Amino acid sequence: MLVSNVHFYQIAILVISCLMIFFGLEKTIKQKPGQTFLKLAIRIIVWGGMAAVALFPSFTNYLAHFIGIEGNVNAVILTGFLLVFLIIFKILSVVERIEQDITRLTRKEALKKLKQ
Amino acid sequence: MKAVYIVIPAYNEETAIGQVVEDVLKEGFSSIIVVDDGSRDNTAAVATKSGALALRHKINRGKGAATRTGIEAALFLGADIVVTLDADGQHNAKEILDLVQPIIHNECDVALGTRQIITGTMPRYKVAHNKIANTITMLYSGIRVQDSQSGFRAYSRHACNYLDTTSDAYEYESEIIRLIAAHKLSYKEVSISTVYTDYSTSKLQKQDISNGIRTVYKMLWKALS
Repeated sequence: MLVSNVHFYQIAILVISCLMIFFGLEKTIKQKPGQTFLKLAIRIIVWGGMAAVALFPSFTNYLAHFIGIEGNVNAVILTGFLLVFLIIFKILSVVERIEQDITRLTRKEALKKLKQ
Repeated sequence: MKAVYIVIPAYNEETAIGQVVEDVLKEGFSSIIVVDDGSRDNTAAVATKSGALALRHKINRGKGAATRTGIEAALFLGADIVVTLDADGQHNAKEILDLVQPIIHNECDVALGTRQIITGTMPRYKVAHNKIANTITMLYSGIRVQDSQSGFRAYSRHACNYLDTTSDAYEYESEIIRLIAAHKLSYKEVSISTVYTDYSTSKLQKQDISNGIRTVYKMLWKALS
């Protein structure tokens, strides 16, 4: 891969991916609350994968062959959809947990009158 | 004599809650807990004036959340039996005793008020809604009951300790059925009547259309996650 052949979008994706991985590593090293190795691993796989596809477009051919779908673009889109669904599932789980926390707090506050 | 507590979750029910509390008092049940679920009107004040203990959620969390708050309060106050009923006046307070009797006589842990599906008296949309809800609840819980969405129920103290519900909204009623199955609690379906006033019917229609789909989605979500 020659530097002269590199397009702007490849550099942009690479920079964004590096930043996202850096932030994940920083959170893990500083042991920020809620950060786990699993989250870091997912972050590296997702952003690292995007960087790999941006820098080495031929990688999508291997991906297409691995998934069993003809056409490398289709394979990338399908993988993207899968990741989006996983992210939505994760977000909904977090929302549900926060909703339950709010309910618990509201209940505690309502029952305080009795328990005082 | 067993201590019977009546729990009434209420949201914006200032026009109906006073009469509901008075009807319950007339039947000889004086321990009434109204959980005002973040109402924007004077529900809590009217309930207190009518003779109930009013607890207040600072923000609206849904019928299921309010019912659980009421049940926890009743247990804290020493209830042996907890009866839940709706705040819009659709349940007949005279039938509380019918629900409580099987628990007093140790026939079951939970008495489920069951509305009779009689064509002509029950609105058609309500019959359809109940049938769909019963089928979904059966798939979700594994047991078939005749009225999975009735809020008129009685629980023994023993049963209440197992009702660790997480549903905040209308899927609460189905979650109770699932917990009955999961903890192998004994239950009995007790026939109840339903008073369809203009007021309660207008509320029911709103609930059916907007919350029906949401309830199914929430139940599916809980089953999958």
